[in-house]
Amino acid sequence: MKHTTERRVVITGIGVVAANGIGKKAFWQATREGISGIKPIRRFSTADLSIKVAGEVSDFSVSDYIDRKLANRTDRMTHFAFAAMQEALSDANIVLEEENPQRIGSVIANTFGGVEFAMEQVKSLYVRGPRYMSAYTAIAWLQVANVGQASIRYGLQGYCKTPVNDTAGGLEALGMAYSAIRRGAADVLLSGGCEAFLHPFSLNLLGQLSEYSYCATGDNPRDYRPFDQRATGLILAEGAGICVLEDYDHALRRGATIYGEIAGYGQTNDANGPTVPSSNGKQYARAIRRAIQEGTISLKDIAYFSLDGRALPPSDQGEAEALQLVFGADIEQLLVSVPRTTQGHSYAAAGPIDTITALLALEEKVIPPTINCEELDPHYGLSMVQDDARPLTGSAVLIGARGIGGMNVALAVKKI
Amino acid sequence: MQRRVVITGLGVLACNGIGKEDFWNACVAGRSGIKRITRFDASALPAQIAGEITNFDPEALGLTPIECHLTDRNTQLALATANLALQDAGLLDTLSDEERDEIGVYMGSAMASSEEAEWLWAKMTNRGKHAPRNTTDEFIPLTLLMTHAPAAAIATHHQLHGPCLVLSTGCSAGADAIGQAYWAIQEGRADRMLTGGSDSAISYAGLDCFCVLGALSTRNDDPERASRPYDLNRDGFVMAEGAGVLVLEERELALARSAHIYAELIAFTSNSNAYHMTALPPDGAPLQHILRQALDEAEISMNQLDYINSHGSSTPYNEAAETVAYKAVFGEYAYRIPISSTKSMIGHAQGAASAIEAIVTVLALERQIIPPTINQEVADPQCDLDYVPNVARPATVKVALTHSSGFGGVNNALVLTQPDWLDTHT
Repeated sequence: MKHTTERRVVITGIGVVAANGIGKKAFWQATREGISGIKPIRRFSTADLSIKVAGEVSDFSVSDYIDRKLANRTDRMTHFAFAAMQEALSDANIVLEEENPQRIGSVIANTFGGVEFAMEQVKSLYVRGPRYMSAYTAIAWLQVANVGQASIRYGLQGYCKTPVNDTAGGLEALGMAYSAIRRGAADVLLSGGCEAFLHPFSLNLLGQLSEYSYCATGDNPRDYRPFDQRATGLILAEGAGICVLEDYDHALRRGATIYGEIAGYGQTNDANGPTVPSSNGKQYARAIRRAIQEGTISLKDIAYFSLDGRALPPSDQGEAEALQLVFGADIEQLLVSVPRTTQGHSYAAAGPIDTITALLALEEKVIPPTINCEELDPHYGLSMVQDDARPLTGSAVLIGARGIGGMNVALAVKKI
Repeated sequence: MQRRVVITGLGVLACNGIGKEDFWNACVAGRSGIKRITRFDASALPAQIAGEITNFDPEALGLTPIECHLTDRNTQLALATANLALQDAGLLDTLSDEERDEIGVYMGSAMASSEEAEWLWAKMTNRGKHAPRNTTDEFIPLTLLMTHAPAAAIATHHQLHGPCLVLSTGCSAGADAIGQAYWAIQEGRADRMLTGGSDSAISYAGLDCFCVLGALSTRNDDPERASRPYDLNRDGFVMAEGAGVLVLEERELALARSAHIYAELIAFTSNSNAYHMTALPPDGAPLQHILRQALDEAEISMNQLDYINSHGSSTPYNEAAETVAYKAVFGEYAYRIPISSTKSMIGHAQGAASAIEAIVTVLALERQIIPPTINQEVADPQCDLDYVPNVARPATVKVALTHSSGFGGVNNALVLTQPDWLDTHT
């Protein structure tokens, strides 16, 4: 049994597809300015649905990234992943042909699979018969499609994984990729998440009014209000966020530009069943502590904490409590923000997009704001960056994610 | 000193056996669990056979009525199997709060809740007659559709607060979950992990999406002989459902509580085909690579390998490529390693398959018997190795390897040893 060494893991490229911007430049400009991409859903009728607005990606042309044949054989989620991967690889300025393909892989999270492709084919099966289902149904439907297609397109012969963990899956993907490079199982990993589940089928289920409901319903695009006294849930979104993670020495050898490093990763579970993230912050606090300790990060290093911001009172309470447990009275000095309020919650893509926001924030020395939170509930005791961006001091950002099913994940990124 | 990881509990639900002993006895007897499909009317499909678990009683295996209501069959199989594994490990209802904080759950699932998604879609569209809309006032638990539900439900049932997630890397998912859980314990992210895989997608769309790929056996008149890896007349895999869960434990903890240790996990390697979404290249190059890497990682030589539990899916291409890869890596020694495919008896339980195969490998180490590959009738000249044909074989098994190749191109391998083997060989 070989002993593993602990290597440092840096991020050298980023790619993003979000409702408020495709590509890091447009995305960052909108996010920094607090410009929202949440609008009425346009791709299908919402007449019969309780959810009317979402972070839908518009002006996305798949032919800018892949050929028609591949586009027809893959779902929209994979199209987003390809767009983000292409940008991330180009941003990292890495020449894959010069790398050992067995040391390169991908870890891409996804929650719902290729809903649109699959439902269309299930319809063919039921309406026309078994022979009319596309041979690409399983290939496009299953979550593994994204890493499988990425491997084929880019010749990635190394470590490839597909974590699925509700709204926390994307942050798990970055954590897993970090662990794999850290212990030497890979040198370079394309990692993040993609999601495209805005479809009448999923929205029907997600928009059900019941004790489990956790999406804001209705037609107000400003209703995603974490920690606000009027919070009624998150607004759904689609998109992708992909980072190029790389062994630090490998990045140095090829003279790569480094955004920062992933310094710590913590995971816990509330074990509270299929309900919204817990109002009890105890377990989430353990995940945050783990990320902080692994990254040897002190309070003064933390530029801001990118919160999960579920925008439901019990879950927001749990998140605030976790911060109280970790930081105690120092919580007043901790700036927090939910820049995702400008994009909506794109599930498995959300954590990686939050991470990309954090890396750009560290680079540009600006903390992007939380929008729509005009009536911050004071009892949470949070120092929220509201409405407008703020100058950033510090060298690290903590990113949190929680999910239905109790998952708590924390990731620490910092400047090298 | 690096933390070592041992296996202290096993739970399994397969079409040829419920629970570890029942399942193991069936495997040693070479008993197939493949039958004609009863779950739905499959008469319109070319493949009408599957490995269904026909006598699954979730409440008898410890599920609460609420769990039965809120979860899909895949998650129910996972929950029941996790109960069996924890009980087998002697950890059911004995854990302190502090211990529960350090126990996580990693599960693999390839098809997730596709069966429920199909059922709900059919309900919401009146079988495709209109756009999806909620036609009833009945609340539909979202958990029915959550791929991560098996892991989350296990964590909730046993109040486990460690790392928790699902991997969905096709047919390699279960072993991927086990490998990642092994790393989590090594890295100190958890002390114990409940890990394995589960899947249940024996439905109209679940079958058809593989029928249209030509991937399934159509030997409908002879179900028990349909899954025949390495045999010349193999014509595709047989869909199955099932679940396998192992309790992985940091070795010092297991020793301190005098737990029964089945085996030690000493290596996990994985890679990707970068070739095709559904097949290995003919030379099995990616498999060659992980086999070499597994030996290297485990710091063993090939002649220390006593048994391989293969992927052996019963598809024409897979076993030919596998055999080429074995010969390329092991040379002449390839003919001396007993290799068997559990899928010959239980079909292909997708995300659960590789976890169930890990359990077979563990039991082979413990009981010194190699279960057979059944349905070996007509030799394929391309597959001329020792596949332990038809009859179980007593053997000295100190070190064993199990590997999987998955839909989506992910391959992996686990190397397992008898409990104290490492101490006598380093």
